[in-house]
Amino acid sequence: MRFNEKELVFLSRQPPERAAELGMRGPKKGDVVKRRLVKLIVNFLFYFRTDEDEVSVNQSQWHRYHYCYRYLFLDEAERKYLFECDSQEQCEEWIDAVVKASYEFMRKNLIYYRTEIHRLTGKDPLEQYGISDETRFQVNSGLPPPPT
Amino acid sequence: MKLNEKSVAHYATCNSPPDKTGFLFKKGERNTAYHRRWFILKGNMLFYFEERESREPIGVIVLEGCTVELCESESEEFAFAVKFDCVKARVYKMAAENQAAMESWVKALSRASFDYMRLVVKELERQLEEVQEEARSSQAKNKPKKHQPQVQGATFSLQNAAITGPSQEGVSSRENGVSWSKPTSVPNGVSEGCVWEGDFCGRGDGVKPPPVPPRRKTNGGSPESPVSPGTGCFSKLHEWYGKEVAELRIEWMQSK
Repeated sequence: MRFNEKELVFLSRQPPERAAELGMRGPKKGDVVKRRLVKLIVNFLFYFRTDEDEVSVNQSQWHRYHYCYRYLFLDEAERKYLFECDSQEQCEEWIDAVVKASYEFMRKNLIYYRTEIHRLTGKDPLEQYGISDETRFQVNSGLPPPPT
Repeated sequence: MKLNEKSVAHYATCNSPPDKTGFLFKKGERNTAYHRRWFILKGNMLFYFEERESREPIGVIVLEGCTVELCESESEEFAFAVKFDCVKARVYKMAAENQAAMESWVKALSRASFDYMRLVVKELERQLEEVQEEARSSQAKNKPKKHQPQVQGATFSLQNAAITGPSQEGVSSRENGVSWSKPTSVPNGVSEGCVWEGDFCGRGDGVKPPPVPPRRKTNGGSPESPVSPGTGCFSKLHEWYGKEVAELRIEWMQSK
């Protein structure tokens, strides 16, 4: 699958939400924990090899995430990633950041604020932006389409 | 750079609802002809497929840090371009099938970024806080006639709030530039039946006065009190109440 690599590399160099050197274990059988520079930027998780400047990226669309002590588990559809933090506190900060680095999370917040403001004032705050009609901001978006 | 392609491709075709879909003509990279492709926009990712029925996308364009512009094309009408900030970035040229589709896509793509979402959310968060703050301060000013004793989780009606009704004008002329002057179709705004679960319940921020301490019943003087209720003699009162305290203290010590 093609993707705009140059632009993603450029994105990986932007100021991150959160960055740290963590232990990281990939999803493949036999993968071991390796030190990586991990950066969370918008809804992408970039990880750099500490010795080289090479970067890989995971689009941050985790199905499941949980943590235990200082280990953070992020699961994609079929693959599981493990991140080893220096402390439980750091682990909690990361999971908090990862949860918020989700397009769906942003969308839900937007819908919540829009609904609340409308409830309290009778006005739709998105009208001023001209985006009140967009499907992605509708209250019932996020539900699967009805079966045909 | 490695991308978790399988997961990303899965995201394209899974049953989460897309934000926009449709056919567009896309200019090829090497082959400069325009090819008709099926596009699916989900979040800040624009996927393109060979056919509508294709199971896997040919590719994805991550829409972060890009601008979308109308552009001139010799061969295509309704053309627009997705451009990125970075050096030697590729320009993605696309064309829609009609004016309306072009406008709709340009609008959707230019607002698809996570960054944009985040900005809008921050702004709405700020607006909500302002709205709540205004309601709080006007609630404090307009003391309701029927004083409700402190109840945890009390609900407050916004009927006295200055937000709705004629003060809509005040709202739209605020300094922050927010202008909500477009008339709403709701006749009374939210002044009727709007119950606001006070989120400042129990916070003690001065909006609700503290509970009135229970009054001792002294009408007509109780049989126990040797002192008439209206007595102004402090020493007598002090003596009598002091006796009661002493008795209670003994009682308590004995019960230990």
